[in-house]
Amino acid sequence: MAVEHDLETMEIPVNMGPQHPSTHGVFRMVLKVDGERVVELVPHIGYLHRGAEKLCENMDYRQGIGIHDRTEYLAPFHAELALVIAVEKLMGLEVPERAEQIRIIMAELNRITSHMMFVGAFSADAGVFGTAFTYAFREREYIQDIFEEVTGDRTMYGYFRPGGLAWDVPDDFVERVRAVLEHTRQGIDDIDNLLTKNEVFMARTRGIGAMSAEEAIDWGLSGPMLRACGVRHDLRKAQPYCIYDRFDFDVPVGQYGDVYDRYLVRLEEMRQSVRIVEQALEGLRDGPIMPKKMRRRLRTPPGEIYQGVEAPRGEYGVYIVSDGTDKPYRMKIRSACFANLMGLRDMVVGHFVADAVVILGSIDMVLGEVDR
Amino acid sequence: MSSEERLEKFRPGRDGHEARKALRVPPPRGSVFDLFKEALPDVPMEAYQAVKDVVIEVSRGDVIRVLRTAKEDPRLDFRWLRCLSGVDYMDKGLEVVYHLHSYTRNHDVTVKVRCPQGDPRVPSATAVWRGADWYEREAAEMFGLVFEGHPNLVPLLLPEDMTDHHPLRKDNPLAEIEEWQGDRLAGRAEEGAGGEEEG
Repeated sequence: MAVEHDLETMEIPVNMGPQHPSTHGVFRMVLKVDGERVVELVPHIGYLHRGAEKLCENMDYRQGIGIHDRTEYLAPFHAELALVIAVEKLMGLEVPERAEQIRIIMAELNRITSHMMFVGAFSADAGVFGTAFTYAFREREYIQDIFEEVTGDRTMYGYFRPGGLAWDVPDDFVERVRAVLEHTRQGIDDIDNLLTKNEVFMARTRGIGAMSAEEAIDWGLSGPMLRACGVRHDLRKAQPYCIYDRFDFDVPVGQYGDVYDRYLVRLEEMRQSVRIVEQALEGLRDGPIMPKKMRRRLRTPPGEIYQGVEAPRGEYGVYIVSDGTDKPYRMKIRSACFANLMGLRDMVVGHFVADAVVILGSIDMVLGEVDR
Repeated sequence: MSSEERLEKFRPGRDGHEARKALRVPPPRGSVFDLFKEALPDVPMEAYQAVKDVVIEVSRGDVIRVLRTAKEDPRLDFRWLRCLSGVDYMDKGLEVVYHLHSYTRNHDVTVKVRCPQGDPRVPSATAVWRGADWYEREAAEMFGLVFEGHPNLVPLLLPEDMTDHHPLRKDNPLAEIEEWQGDRLAGRAEEGAGGEEEG
């Protein structure tokens, strides 16, 4: 009997997800592979679409805070912040000093927990499973204990309000945060020692998924993804919101725009966040946390506003069109990962299938925010 | 104008859009609109100052030219398409809103283009920014907009077969039970409306 000779080289489509451990949520991509090389990639999103925008349009502004928590669920403080600042600017509300300071402490601590989540999950993607993951989650846990003490919830905080905060922080807040910061600083150094010069980690991440600054801007990337490409753009510096203009911190940028640079930028951002929190703790004084008179029913004057904040993953923005009632006429959520994911195809094509997982991990996406 | 004054001008019961039109404040001198007028002297543009940004309204025929100039003119240098959203103004038509930002000049602008409900065609901005791709796909499925020249205008977040209605349009309300709950909540808020209390 003759041996089969009609085998031919062909490109094979490979489906990844929606249930796949490396997709960090329900995300599906269809790869076309030529041997081990990826020649085409088509991302499919929408598995977590819950209609957050439509729901917000049918709720008043305070109820919408809960919906915003559930979009960006790894950095809910930033999502809330975008909404409350937008409403405050529409109404012309003045926020008390103490509330601004506490907001910044919470937002920056939240940046650390979010980046810790990234470091843990990403190192596991890159083949350094175990140690870094547990170290990162330990640090995360300490900060989340503070969040729980202050807000009463571990993940969905609902703590910021238009005008200020829902309630004041506990009495021993400053000492507690100081103690945890000591630990966090050590934790960041530990992760630095574990990963930055780790041979396996470097081999898997350097030179992978590189993007030039022009491409990154064309795709609309923001946050650490953009800064890794060498663009020094941080909303906290460029268009300061809250009282960020009073704080002294640096904006780290990368050089090559590859996966390794994205990791380095995030690592340095954690250190800068520690600096900001320390300064905010110094400046924290007693005082009111809400304006004296607040309407029970928040009605915004007709008008429109786009307000973005520098969330851990990039710019989280809220576009509100108000028609003078207590509900937004239109609420658009500009999510950071939505734009960052758009560039995925360009980053992956040409690399190995195994690298696709690492590149996807480096985007640090939150599907709740992408799909809304 | 303070927020009270603006609220005062707006009377519920009056046509919301008319009220908004009355509130339009022209952009201040030296704003980004002056640069647009310099760069595009022959394009009809209408501008007003919103709470934060300057809003420029253009017609469908000019929008791509305006966006391209905004991106490529060194005086404007809006290289980042920050956000693209659709808005449904019911009988006043559908609107596409482009939020732009410049890294070098550090200024923002909002560009708007409006089209009637019956003819929701708008030229695609993907030729100017590749990053407009998913935003337009989302606006298309949510509002029924048609972006002409878009390379792949298929549903993004919604199921592929859900083409008969567009969820974010105002004529597409939430499910009955949610509507009913919303009415109840609104009724309760109405009873306690106007009350001022601390916190």
